[in-house]
Amino acid sequence: MAAGKGFFTDTTICIGCKACEVACKQWNQLPDDGFTFTGMSYDNTVHLGASTWRHVAFIERPVALSNQDAGDFSWLFSSDVCKHCARAGCLESCPTGAIIRTEFDTVYVQPDICNGCGYCVVNCPFGVIDRREDDGRAWKCTLCYDRLKEDMTPACAKACPTESIQFGDLDDLRQRARNRIDQLHEQGMSEAYLYGASKEDQPGTEGLNAFFLLLDKPEAYNLPPDPIVPTKTVKDAWKSMGLAVVGMAVTAIGSVLLAGNGARR
Amino acid sequence: MSGNLFPKEDAGIDDGRNIDLAIGTLSGEGASQLAHPKTQPRQGSKALWSRLPESSKADPTYYDWPMLKEPVWKWEIPLYYYLGGLAGTSLALAAAAQLNRSGGLEDLIGQCRWIGIAGVTAGGMCLIRDLGRPSLFLNMLRVFRPTSPMNMGAWILSGAGATTFTALALSRARGALGSAGECSGYLAGIFGMGLASYTGVLVGNSVIPVWQESRKVLPILFAASGVTSTASMLEILREDRPSRRVTYIFGLGGRIAELAAIKAMERQAGAVSRVARPLKKGKSGLIWRAATIVTGASLAMMLLPKQTRRKRVVSGILGTAGSLMMRYAINEAGTPSAQDPRASFYQQRGRLAAKETGTTE
Repeated sequence: MAAGKGFFTDTTICIGCKACEVACKQWNQLPDDGFTFTGMSYDNTVHLGASTWRHVAFIERPVALSNQDAGDFSWLFSSDVCKHCARAGCLESCPTGAIIRTEFDTVYVQPDICNGCGYCVVNCPFGVIDRREDDGRAWKCTLCYDRLKEDMTPACAKACPTESIQFGDLDDLRQRARNRIDQLHEQGMSEAYLYGASKEDQPGTEGLNAFFLLLDKPEAYNLPPDPIVPTKTVKDAWKSMGLAVVGMAVTAIGSVLLAGNGARR
Repeated sequence: MSGNLFPKEDAGIDDGRNIDLAIGTLSGEGASQLAHPKTQPRQGSKALWSRLPESSKADPTYYDWPMLKEPVWKWEIPLYYYLGGLAGTSLALAAAAQLNRSGGLEDLIGQCRWIGIAGVTAGGMCLIRDLGRPSLFLNMLRVFRPTSPMNMGAWILSGAGATTFTALALSRARGALGSAGECSGYLAGIFGMGLASYTGVLVGNSVIPVWQESRKVLPILFAASGVTSTASMLEILREDRPSRRVTYIFGLGGRIAELAAIKAMERQAGAVSRVARPLKKGKSGLIWRAATIVTGASLAMMLLPKQTRRKRVVSGILGTAGSLMMRYAINEAGTPSAQDPRASFYQQRGRLAAKETGTTE
């Protein structure tokens, strides 16, 4: 098995050019999403979806960054993508086995198997995967599975002009990310932190194969502060189901016996 | 939904890809994605311009845009929850009635098994209809995956269908075949109990805040509602004397348990008040409250003195309506819950704070 591959997205050097969005659409031959004007900063893509596998978020804040002297304002950009979680909610909930973990440790939806049940949609803690209604199936970033098989860099990372999106072996990426954090902290950007870089950072997903360096709370980027794969908490529900089954059996047998005894009396 | 939605010659150039197939090919990872020229991918049902975001420094969101995707399930899925509950509980009651050989419950057993097979069939059709690619339904059975309640459900539904069919087919047989039929009836009862309650696990196994927060009570609520549904259906159908006694006790237990579970769910989801909002406000809140009232009314109907046939039918109709509405309300609540990023944020921040102070939820 090849080493795990992933993305490290360093949002401090993202310039919001959306080259990743375009490269992703072009390489994967995805249809457009319509042309909406949202009025919210430069973001007219809004969110990831069945036909949108990269999305650049534009955050306008009334707060300066700690090493900036620019008044009470800062503009943050972040290129969002499927996180290819170590414990993936979509994969674990998929009833057909259409969603698999590849030899690159990425999460991939096999379009010929997916029957469009929609269960993965409510099992992704990041709201990434979606069903396209006219197509009927669920779609998301493949981490350019076709390119990885040819030993190529995914289209978004290849197109990124500032190397905000870095692709590589996970161990290597994590090391680079830690170095970058040290460097930023030295430069006085104390708010920089890593999001989902390891199992310890994010126990609910056991770490992300596409992790981020962020400058504000996850919520500001529309990321969950403590995502958790539903399978981790569902044991409670299975236990309750056991209780429910016992309760139902007792009620059914009880009704039959009580009614029978009453009849004999 | 499957198949060609538009003439093949329109592919590429007119489907939002701008690829002229005379000079280019469609071969990318997303190339097989059907895109109708006139449709766009889901943007969520919340209008982008509905109101200004309330973001603040202390409590940020991303323009109040949803963090999660809305569930794609429409009316078929809550109807399936109801039918699964009805069919599953009926099979369980039939199996229990089988235990009481001298009770004169043959009619009840037969009725319950017919409700079972009808519910399993109609429920299965709902499930298939809801799929984006209905022709690939059987892919549900190409794996056995305990982490996916939906996969487990597909197996439970298949098992319930097969055993009920066998029990019905062999219901008049004698000797060894008769015992096999008897055995199938008991098996159908076991599958039935699973069928009536696994849907609660299915809903609870999700990231939708109001569903996830209620995961401990959902299987109990769904099972209780299944008991109400079965008793109600039997009340509406014609009953003979011995089965009327059984149905009365069964229906009483079901309705009381369902009302108790409704209250328990409100309390559990209400641990984070923002999470419980869809059960109080909006369309889902309205249906949810109506379900509670209607189920309560059907219980009151049962407790009136002098149970006449007419009163039984009315309480049966109310009980059925209550169960159906409760399931619709839960499905409906998923949409506003997914649309509200703060529901997830507050739920998760609460969890983190509890972890820090060392208290469990």
